[in-house]
Amino acid sequence: MFTGGALIFVLVVALTAVAIVVPQERRRWLADGRIVMAGGIALPVLVLSALLGYGLFVARGQLNPGEPALRIEVVGEQWWWRVRYLDGSGGVRFVTANEIRIPIDQPIEFLLTSADVIHSFWAPSLAGKLDMIPGKVNSYTFSADKPGVYRGQCAEYCGAQHALMAFYVVAMEPEAFETWASHQTAPSEQPVTDELRSGQELFIANGCGACHTVRGTSARGEIGPDLTHVGGRLSIGAGTLPTNKGTLAGWVASTQHLKPEVFMPSFGNLEGKELRAIAAYLESLE
Amino acid sequence: MDRRLKTIAVLCLVIGTGGFLFAWSGLYNVAASAGHWAITRWFLTFGMENSVETQSVGVKVPPLDDLAMVQRGASHYFGGCMSCHGAPGSSRSLIALQMLPAPPYLPEKVEEWSPDELFWIVKHGLKYTGMPAWAAQERDDEVWSVVAFLARLPEMSPEEYRGLAQGEQAGARGTTAGQLQPFSLDARSPDALGQCIRCHGSDGTGRETGAFPRLAGQSVEYLYSALQDYALGLRPSGIMQPIAAELTDEEIRKLAAYYAGIEDAPSVGLRMRIDPDVLRRGETIATEGISVHGIPACASCHGPTTAPRNPRYPLLAGQYASYIAQQLRLWKQGARGDTVSSRIMAAAARNLDEENIEAVSLYYALLRQDQELPDLQLNGDGAGGQSHK
Repeated sequence: MFTGGALIFVLVVALTAVAIVVPQERRRWLADGRIVMAGGIALPVLVLSALLGYGLFVARGQLNPGEPALRIEVVGEQWWWRVRYLDGSGGVRFVTANEIRIPIDQPIEFLLTSADVIHSFWAPSLAGKLDMIPGKVNSYTFSADKPGVYRGQCAEYCGAQHALMAFYVVAMEPEAFETWASHQTAPSEQPVTDELRSGQELFIANGCGACHTVRGTSARGEIGPDLTHVGGRLSIGAGTLPTNKGTLAGWVASTQHLKPEVFMPSFGNLEGKELRAIAAYLESLE
Repeated sequence: MDRRLKTIAVLCLVIGTGGFLFAWSGLYNVAASAGHWAITRWFLTFGMENSVETQSVGVKVPPLDDLAMVQRGASHYFGGCMSCHGAPGSSRSLIALQMLPAPPYLPEKVEEWSPDELFWIVKHGLKYTGMPAWAAQERDDEVWSVVAFLARLPEMSPEEYRGLAQGEQAGARGTTAGQLQPFSLDARSPDALGQCIRCHGSDGTGRETGAFPRLAGQSVEYLYSALQDYALGLRPSGIMQPIAAELTDEEIRKLAAYYAGIEDAPSVGLRMRIDPDVLRRGETIATEGISVHGIPACASCHGPTTAPRNPRYPLLAGQYASYIAQQLRLWKQGARGDTVSSRIMAAAARNLDEENIEAVSLYYALLRQDQELPDLQLNGDGAGGQSHK
């Protein structure tokens, strides 16, 4: 493909050079009707028809990739990603957010939709963009061939924080993936120290559970991301910041400063000690 | 032609300079005691009346027959307007009468204005008179309650006025706040609690019309921060801001503790029939929220819940439906102030539409304060008419 493209490019550049540089009487042949017909119509028709045939042949494999090893439902929301791992019967195995872990060398089917406006799912190193449209499910299947962290990004302007609507695809060895997936299915870690216990209590008392779920506690809200295992994710705020105690505290205290107009309000009513306890608790939810 | 123009220009210059010199000399007497010439008074009144008429074009008058609005307006009038404008059974203060122009005795004069004009005057005040503008320009709802009261003023008897304005204090005309108060307040403003009781009652239950929010049994933290927010102008209200701004921090603490300490205050049942479906909808919003519409469960912060709760968030059980609904509307309009807490609630209230606001307000109004979990009778006769005490 590259060689063919390069040959055509060199030919076009050479003919252009001839047309510009060579004296008029010696380039008269270039204006001949047969040369124009051959180079301007016959050659493109042949080359492009061959490419179309080849393209359809290649795409056939993509359209019909066989049974996927795993189905993952991703819902685009302003401005984050709700991720549901489906089991064999189509039921939800577990819910997470903003991070998609997959086993390598296995075809993964992505079922994409949106809860509000049009978003577009795009992990450029792995596959092309696919729009997420409210009320419609678009799907495609791809796989990763080596372990690693691949950054993804919303590729359709979707409002104020479109630029901070990112995600990570983490491709893992299949055994490591299975370990991770069964851990995700489990409820959250229970707090073991006084600080973590107070963090959990403050998390509930300040109403975080109205929007967030932490399985294993009374927090059952489904408006924002599921936080059951938030401490084990690479980023918070959909790729906005790395996950650690400091960024978690900063996020809770001032979402509107870090990601203005995001639907989570800044919890500026919390004192430093309360914030640190909540952040420590969230970080412990691995 | 040229000469005429020159003459006019010189004349203007002379008049202008003369006027300036006259003002500079201080010969004009600005004394209120000096009064106006009849023609000046006529001209000023003519200009004012026409301005109010023109400026109030386009003001839409809401229904004004709600008794709660009339009570709210009357109670504010009692504290803020009566000394200058008089009231049934009360004449204007002699001090106010020395103003120029003297404020009109409204029980007799208010009929000269239509409701839209009254709204405009109460909201914006009048330049070159002593009439002030409404302290919270965002709160048209409060201004309308004053107008609702003014509309009834001409036929109002002194007894009716006292009842509307003072509630439980109406009978005890000689009673001073000193006799009612269960704690000693700063000598500087001995009537701080009296100001509260006029509307919220000595037991913190307001009035049964829902004209004023119920304070009994609310948390100290919430009552303290609410009064602080009013005092600092962070929560707009032309009724509460002036009252709270005069309180010292110590008084605010004591008042918050007083109302928070009232337990077992009677709940007032709703005297209306309630559609059980509406109540069920309210219960769903309060206890579960509606995730697909981005409506979080109120109970996570405001109860009822068995889980720990931040006392800085107000309790809603037993609160008047009209108060809850109006506050939610203010949040949606962006008129509920700008504090760290109000910004959190703004995010929660964003997706509530009018139907949901009414349903959830009714649900909380019918919930008993001591209930941890809701136990409503959702049978055919509806929960209407049930009293909680």
